[in-house]
Amino acid sequence: MSFDLYLIVESVPLMLSGIGITLKLLVISAFLGLLLAILLLLMRISGKWYLDWPAQVYIYVFRGTPILVQIFIVYYGFPQFEFIRDSIFWPILREPAGCAIVALSLNTGAYVSEILRGGVLGVGKGLLEAGSALGMSARQKFIYITTPIAVRLALPAYSNDVISLLKSTALASTITIADMTGIARTIVAETYAPYEIFISMAIIYMAFTWVLQKSFGLIEGYLGRYAKREA
Amino acid sequence: MEALTGWWDDYAWGSLVVAKVFLTSIGLMVLFGLIGAGAKLSNIRIAQKLAGAYTVIFRGTPEILVILLLYFGSAIALTSITQMFDPEVKFVDVPPFWAGTFAIAIIVGSYATETFRGAFLGVSPGSIEAARALGMSPLQTFIYIRIPEMWRIALPPFGNHMLSLIKDTALISIIGLNETLFVAKQAIATTNKPFTMYIFVGLIYLAFSSAITLSVMGLEKFGKRTTEGAR
Repeated sequence: MSFDLYLIVESVPLMLSGIGITLKLLVISAFLGLLLAILLLLMRISGKWYLDWPAQVYIYVFRGTPILVQIFIVYYGFPQFEFIRDSIFWPILREPAGCAIVALSLNTGAYVSEILRGGVLGVGKGLLEAGSALGMSARQKFIYITTPIAVRLALPAYSNDVISLLKSTALASTITIADMTGIARTIVAETYAPYEIFISMAIIYMAFTWVLQKSFGLIEGYLGRYAKREA
Repeated sequence: MEALTGWWDDYAWGSLVVAKVFLTSIGLMVLFGLIGAGAKLSNIRIAQKLAGAYTVIFRGTPEILVILLLYFGSAIALTSITQMFDPEVKFVDVPPFWAGTFAIAIIVGSYATETFRGAFLGVSPGSIEAARALGMSPLQTFIYIRIPEMWRIALPPFGNHMLSLIKDTALISIIGLNETLFVAKQAIATTNKPFTMYIFVGLIYLAFSSAITLSVMGLEKFGKRTTEGAR
């Protein structure tokens, strides 16, 4: 057992060549997941049971099952049906990357909607009463009072979810996608040097996480710039 | 649904493996979490730094990398150790059960570290002072005051850790553990019904996570029984 430094120097650029795919999975899934989360949130707080219940069931199912199972259902499971293979979604679901993005977005949407709901519920009642007193409509109150405050409240938890989404993108390697983890697994299969490859891979992911954390910290500081002055 | 005929017992055995991994990893997770929290709360600089590194590393690395590293890495390490004593040995196989269980327990333990630390710090100083005023020894204070207050604080996040553990067991199928996802793969090879099989795996996991959620809810209610009536 030895630690082959030369192998690390050789394979790190190879693994980094997969960063584009990892980033693509992360950014697109985070964006689509956020849209889905906002939709689910609006359904949850609509006050109408026929919108609230389906959203609750959706969140319950997607938070209660492993993301790997969800990826497999989309990638291996959907093509079982003729009507899916004939549908307009087939060009997306035919590609492993498309499947990974679909599964990751559906998954993260469920988690993020709960985070957003936490933010919305955290908005002080007094502020909304003040809005009513000023004669604001329910929609105006939601846009001008609830949204800005809820975004600020939800951001720390949201940044954690983006980081776990980054970690989930590594699972795309199980459906033949050559993201960073996929490339690392191929190299290990060829060289059988798990320590060198997986540890350097882990360090790259940690650096990635750190960058995400710092960026969200900057956004939090920016959004909280008024709140800070009062304190 | 008829595709499932003949696979029921395989799924039952797979679920049993999931339950075994889950129960074993809870024990280990609590152990790692307590060690981590103890180190963070201690006055020893090195212990604090090590525990800090532990949480940063395992929160920033994808779960699948940790599982793969532990599985292949421990096989290599064990092989070279065994070869020192018996050069005849070509390869030592590590059971995926133990490699996987350790991996997910270490990962979730890094989250539990923060939970336990928070719970320890969350015990109100007034209670501790009151215990001291009553002449309780530090050990008595710990058993009768700290632990009853701590588990109530730690329970909600601990429930989330248990959910992470149960969902992470699905990842261990990647290194060949014969749990439900692995059973599904074999069933698909003969029945060619991937959607049915993976949806069924999803339902099994949903049942597991529902059971966990319900027991945590019950325990929370039990924990509140004394405070609720006082109000």
